Amino acid sequence: MLACLVQMPIPMPSIARHAFLQGAIAILPLSLAVAPWGLLAGSMAIAANLSAWEGQGLSAIVFAGAAQLVAIGMLKSGASLASILLTTLLLTSQHLLYGLSMRPALSPLPLRWRLGLGFLLTDEFFALTSRHDHQHFNRWYALGIGFTFYVAWNLFTWAGIVLGKSIPHLDQLGLDFSIVATFVALITPLVRNLPTLACVAVSLGASVLFSHWHWETALVSAGLLGMGTGFACQKLGRVV
Amino acid sequence: MTWLLIIGMGVVVFLNRYAFLEPRLPLRLSANARQFLGFAVPGMLTAICGPIIFMPAHTLNLQPLNPYLLGAVVAAALVRLTRNVMLSMLLSMLIFFVLRSVLS
Repeated sequence: MLACLVQMPIPMPSIARHAFLQGAIAILPLSLAVAPWGLLAGSMAIAANLSAWEGQGLSAIVFAGAAQLVAIGMLKSGASLASILLTTLLLTSQHLLYGLSMRPALSPLPLRWRLGLGFLLTDEFFALTSRHDHQHFNRWYALGIGFTFYVAWNLFTWAGIVLGKSIPHLDQLGLDFSIVATFVALITPLVRNLPTLACVAVSLGASVLFSHWHWETALVSAGLLGMGTGFACQKLGRVV
Repeated sequence: MTWLLIIGMGVVVFLNRYAFLEPRLPLRLSANARQFLGFAVPGMLTAICGPIIFMPAHTLNLQPLNPYLLGAVVAAALVRLTRNVMLSMLLSMLIFFVLRSVLS
């Protein structure tokens, strides 16, 4: 949708700023899509008797929606520090996979870029940056995506803290469909062959089944199983 | 105590994110590994969508008249037809909210 802008000739000094802005624009829909979770992360922290600073600190330092919401819930039910940290480790383990997948593009960068983009590596960041292969990877575009998303996440958290419990049944308004709409629109054009179709089908079925079983590693297990299926289909297809 | 938890969680999540970005980690990705990781985007994004679609309010809903399911099908059909990601997102969200109010 922004392809026409990418191909425009750009004078040298403004390339970085241009790429940064492109990233910021590309992530806008997803930044709005996380509004319900950001609001929830803020309001739940207050409801669990965390101070406003602690609630904001979670979003500013941890910056991982699912882990934050689960940690607040566990804190409320009196779970130990160690058990919350272990749950965080399992819940966010898909980031290991994102790191591995982006290793060719990110590991040759200077330390400050690796640390910065590493900190900003979320599901949404991965969804948008890994559409380009690592030769076409642009660090400023990636920074525009990550930074904009970070600011949006923290602003929505702040709004959740301020509004507190005055938003009734925020989690039941169906706002989470915006994530589905975005991801489906990103995945569908990728399904062009049998291996990818198999990957998506297995991942979908497994994610629902594992979540139904309350596995803490449901998402990453389902993702790995789907990826393995796609890979196996591709290998078999070559042999036959 | 709470700040210790927040910083601890921050460290755990950051290590997950950064571990494989470290060039000093002795690891070279084989052709097979790269091929496998090529399925990361469809595989992981689908896994994130699955529970949102089929487990609204954390309970299993496999009914065909589930608005999340219908909305997702509409989004996929729209992006196939129009090849416009933004338009498909917005239209399918509109249709989802209409379906949701009609079906509930």
